[in-house]
Amino acid sequence: MPELTYREAVRDALGAALRADEDVFVMGEDIAEMGGSMGVTQGLLDEFGPERVRNTPISEMAIVGAGIGAAMAGMRPVVEIMYEDFLTLSLEQIVNQAAKHRYMSGGQLKVPLTIRTQGGAGWSPGAQHAQQLEAWLVHVPGLKVAFPSTPEDVRGILWSAIYDDNPVIVFEHRLLYPVKGEVPEKLEPIPLGKARVVREGTDVTVIATGPLVHRSLEAAQAAEGEGISVEVVDPRSLQPLDEEALVASVKKTNRVVIAHEAVTRMGFGAEVAAVLQYQAFDWLDAPIERVGSKFAPLAFAPVMEQFVVPQAEDVLAAVKRTVGK
Amino acid sequence: MANEVKLPRLGQGMESGTVTRWLKSEGDQVEKGEPLYEIDTDKVTQEVESDFAGVLLRIALAEGEAPVGQTIAWIGEPGEEAPAEASKPAPVSEPVPGTEVPGTEVRPVPATASTSAAANGGRIKASPLARRLARERGIDLASLRGTGPEGRIVAEDVERGAVTAPAPAAAPVPVGEVESIPLTNIRKTIARRLTAAWQAPVFQLTRSADMTRANELVAKARELHPDVRVTVTDLLAKVCAVALQRHRNVNVAYTEDALLRFPTANVGIAVAAPQGLVVPVLRSVERLSLAEVAGARAEVVDRARENKLTAQDLDGGTFTISNLGMYGIEQFVAVLNPPQAAILAVGATEDRAVVVDGEVVVRPMMTMTLTVDHRAVDGADGADFLRTVKQLLEEPALAL
Amino acid sequence: MAKVEKKRALGEETLREFLREMLLIRRFEEKVEERFRGGELPGFLHVAIGQEATAVGVCQAMEEGDIFASTHRAHGHTLARGTHPNAVMAELYGKIEGCSHGYGGSMHLYDVSRGNYGANAVIGGGLPAVTGAGLAFRLRDEPRVAVAFFGDGATNIGTFHEALNLAQLWRTKTVFVCENNHWAESTPGWQHSPVWDDMSKRALAYDMRARKVDGQDVEAVYEAAHDALEYARDGHGPVFLDVRTYRMHGHYIGDPQVYRTKDDRDDAAEHDPIPRLRARLGLSDEEFQALDDEAIGVVEAAVEFAKNGTDPQPEDALKNIYA
Repeated sequence: MPELTYREAVRDALGAALRADEDVFVMGEDIAEMGGSMGVTQGLLDEFGPERVRNTPISEMAIVGAGIGAAMAGMRPVVEIMYEDFLTLSLEQIVNQAAKHRYMSGGQLKVPLTIRTQGGAGWSPGAQHAQQLEAWLVHVPGLKVAFPSTPEDVRGILWSAIYDDNPVIVFEHRLLYPVKGEVPEKLEPIPLGKARVVREGTDVTVIATGPLVHRSLEAAQAAEGEGISVEVVDPRSLQPLDEEALVASVKKTNRVVIAHEAVTRMGFGAEVAAVLQYQAFDWLDAPIERVGSKFAPLAFAPVMEQFVVPQAEDVLAAVKRTVGK
Repeated sequence: MANEVKLPRLGQGMESGTVTRWLKSEGDQVEKGEPLYEIDTDKVTQEVESDFAGVLLRIALAEGEAPVGQTIAWIGEPGEEAPAEASKPAPVSEPVPGTEVPGTEVRPVPATASTSAAANGGRIKASPLARRLARERGIDLASLRGTGPEGRIVAEDVERGAVTAPAPAAAPVPVGEVESIPLTNIRKTIARRLTAAWQAPVFQLTRSADMTRANELVAKARELHPDVRVTVTDLLAKVCAVALQRHRNVNVAYTEDALLRFPTANVGIAVAAPQGLVVPVLRSVERLSLAEVAGARAEVVDRARENKLTAQDLDGGTFTISNLGMYGIEQFVAVLNPPQAAILAVGATEDRAVVVDGEVVVRPMMTMTLTVDHRAVDGADGADFLRTVKQLLEEPALAL
Repeated sequence: MAKVEKKRALGEETLREFLREMLLIRRFEEKVEERFRGGELPGFLHVAIGQEATAVGVCQAMEEGDIFASTHRAHGHTLARGTHPNAVMAELYGKIEGCSHGYGGSMHLYDVSRGNYGANAVIGGGLPAVTGAGLAFRLRDEPRVAVAFFGDGATNIGTFHEALNLAQLWRTKTVFVCENNHWAESTPGWQHSPVWDDMSKRALAYDMRARKVDGQDVEAVYEAAHDALEYARDGHGPVFLDVRTYRMHGHYIGDPQVYRTKDDRDDAAEHDPIPRLRARLGLSDEEFQALDDEAIGVVEAAVEFAKNGTDPQPEDALKNIYA
C-alpha cells in the first residue's frame, strides 16, 4: 500500500475529483499559485487551470456563499477556508443559507458543497489561528461535519463529502498534515457516519477526534504498561454520528474518556457524553471522562499553549481515573 | 521555608498509615531519594524515600498512625526552625463507609488502610453498571464495599459479592409432586446474605446466664411502663449495646481493605415476619432506656409483621440478636449477618439445676451462643464480650 | 429570438399583461393583509405594495432557465415569475400544496422549477449564492443568468460587498436588482447610506456596470432588466440596477409606521405604478374594472384553495433536512 502524508491525501482526493468530474472546482484564499497556506493544493493549478482552481479575495462570506450558489446551480464546489477561526466570518452563509435551503424549499433544492478548513494548536499561533470550532457546526441541522485523523480517512471522507448532496464541513488539523500513513492503492470512499475502532481494548474506551486520536494512542500504549487495556475509537464524522459504534464500544469496556482538542465546555464531547449516558447508562462503571482544552483562548507563549491544550498525559490520567488508578 | 514531609498515599484506597520507625534522626542530613522512615500499610511494611534534600529538622510523628497528607516531619536548611504545629491534612476523600451508620462517625481501625466507602449521605454510591448487575442478581448494594474511585461500588465489587450458591445435594425422591415456589426478593436476599455469611470463617462461643435478676427487672419495667411491653429481648439489646461499647473491637464490620469500627451500637433484632426473616435495626441502643428500647423495638417489629419496613429500618446494624427462646429452643448457632462481625443466638430461659457456692440450686438459666467473624474479631475478644453480656444480664442494674 | 421579439413587441397587449400581473400581486397582497389581520395567517409577513412594477418588469424580462433569489418581501417576485397564486397562498397558510410545501412561509418562498431559488430573510443573505450561481453558469458556459433582488437596506452588509466584488472580479452571469424604496425597515435611506439616493455608486466602486431605473415605470424596468440580463448572459459580467421604487405600506403587516410622516406616505401613494400603467394604456373604468375583477377572482380562488389545503403531519418537520 502506498504511503501518503495527510496533506498529500487531501490533495489526492481533490485531484481525483477534479479529474473525474467537470462539475468539481476548488476555490479559496491563496490556493492557486501558492498552493494554499498549508500547501494542500500545490500542483492543482498546473493540472486544472485557474478556472477550476480559483484564488479568491479574502472574502469568507462570498467564498462560502458563492460555493452555495454554484452548488445549488448543479456543481460540486470545494471551498477552502484558510483557518477555521475565519470560518466565523462565513457562519451566516453556512448556518442560515447552506444548511437551510433544502429544508426551506421543502426538499426542492440541494446544496452539494464541501467546505474544507483547518486549525489546531501546537505551533504558537495565538488566539486567532488555532481554534477548534467543530462543535458549533454539529449544532446545526442540515450540515454534515467530519474530522478525519489519518491520511486514509481524510482521503476517503473528503471524497464522500464532495459527492454528498449536502453541505459538508471537513475539519483538518494543522499538525496532522505531515503525518504519514498507508492508504489503499485505489481511492476508496469512506462513508460519513462511520466510526473506526483505531485500537482494540477491553477496559476503557477513548473516543477521540483529530490529533487527540494520535495522542490517545500514545496514552493507550502507556496504559497498557500499567495493565489497562484501552480501546480507541475515532468517530471520524461528527454529524452524522455513528452512535451505534460508540455505544457498542462503551458497552464492551464500561468506561469511557472523550478527548478532543476543542475546549471541553460545550465541546463535541459533551454531546457524545450525553448520547452515551442515555444509551449506555446501565453499562457505565465509572463517570464519563472528558479531555479537552482548558477554558481559555490560546495563549502565544508555548508553555501556556501547551498547558491549555490536552496532551497524551491528560488522556492517560483520565483513563486511569476511570479505572480508579 | 522548611519542606513538610507528609504521610504519602501509597496505594489506592489508602487513607492512613502507621509510621513504625525512622531511619534518620533529627539533625541528620538527608538526600533526596534516601530512605527516611518505614511505614506500615495493610499490605506491607515499606521504606519511604525522602522527597527533599536537607536536614531532618523535626520529626512530628515518631511512631504511630496518621492520615494521608499529615505532616510527619520537616526537612530544611541547617539551623532552620521547623514550625511547631503540624499541618492538618486536606481531606483526601470522603471516609464514609458503605455500611454507614447515619449520623455517626466511623473511623478506620489503625494499622489497616481503609477504602473509601460507597455510601454518601444515605445514598449508596455505585456505578450504573454496578446497579444494573446488582438489580439483575438480586444483590443488595448496601452489602457491598466499593473499591472504585471515591469508594464507588463498581461492577467488579458486585461480581465479587455475587457468590455462587453451593451445589445442591442430590434431591430425595419426592412423594407426590414437587411444588416450585418462586423465590421472593426477600427470600433471595436472605439466601444471598446467608450464603455470603457462610464464606466467613466463624467461631462460636457459648455461655449461660442466670436470668433471675433480669426477669425481675423486666417484670418491674412492665409495672413502671404499662404502655410498652418490655421483653427479655429488649433487655438483651440494651445489655449487648452496653457491652459493645465496652468491647468496641466486637462492634465492627469486616471489609476487604479495612475494619470499620462503629462508635455506636445499632442492634438488629431478627424477626420472623410473614414474608421471611428480617432484621430491623434499633439505633444507638446504648443511649436508650429500657422502655425506649421496648418502644422502638415494638414499633419496628410491628411494622415488620405488617411488611411495612423501609430500607432504612434494615440499614446500618452493627450487631444482631436472634432470640428463639419463645420457641423453646434451648440453644442454637446463628449464622452471621454480614458485614457485622457478631451475632448472638439466644435460647429459652428455663429452670435448670446449677451449682452455686457448692450447692445445687434451681435457677432460671438462659444459654446464648455468640457467632463471630474470625477475620474481624479474635477469640479472646469475643469471650471478653460474652462475659460482659453475662455479667450484665446477671446484674442488669449495671447496664442501665 | 423570443426575447428580442418581446422587447420590440412591448406593445399594448404585453403591457396589458403586465398590468394583469401587477393587479394580481396588488390584490393578492391586500388579501394577505386582510387575512393576516383576520388571524388566519401565521408568521411574519411583508408586502411590497407599490413595488409591483419592479417585480413584474424584471421577472418578465427573465428567460426560462434564469434563476433568482428574493427577499423577505417576496410575494411579488414569486407571482411575477409565474408561480401559481394558489401555491403561493397555500404556502402562506402552511399547507403542503404551498410552493415550499409548508417548510418556508412568506419569507422563504421557493419554486425551483420557475427559477425561484429562495426568498431570504437574512438581509443580503442570498447575494453571494447568486454570484456563485452566476459563476456556475459561466463555468458551464450556460446561457443562464442569476438575479438577486435586495433592498437598499442590504447595501450596507458585508455579503453585498463581497458578492459584488467577486461577481465583477469573475465576470459572473449575475444581475443585481436593488429595489431602492429608501427604507431599511424603519430607517430612511438618508440615515443609513451616504449614497442612498443613488445606489449605483456602490456598484461603480466595484467597476460594475450600473444603471438607475424608474421602478414605478414597468416598461422602463423591463427594458433595463432585459438589457442587463442580455449583457450578463453574453458573459460580459454582472450588471447592477438601482431601481427607485416606493413602499406604500409598512415594513411588515401591522407596522404602525410611527417613524413615517403622512406626507411621505402620500408621496409614495402618488407614485403608485398601477394607475400610471392604466393611464399609459388609456383604459376605461370598465376595462380596468374587468382586469381588476379578474385579479380579485383569482385571489379569492387562491384563498379557497389554500384554506382547503392539506396540513403537513407534525413529524414532516423531520423530513427534508438532508438530501
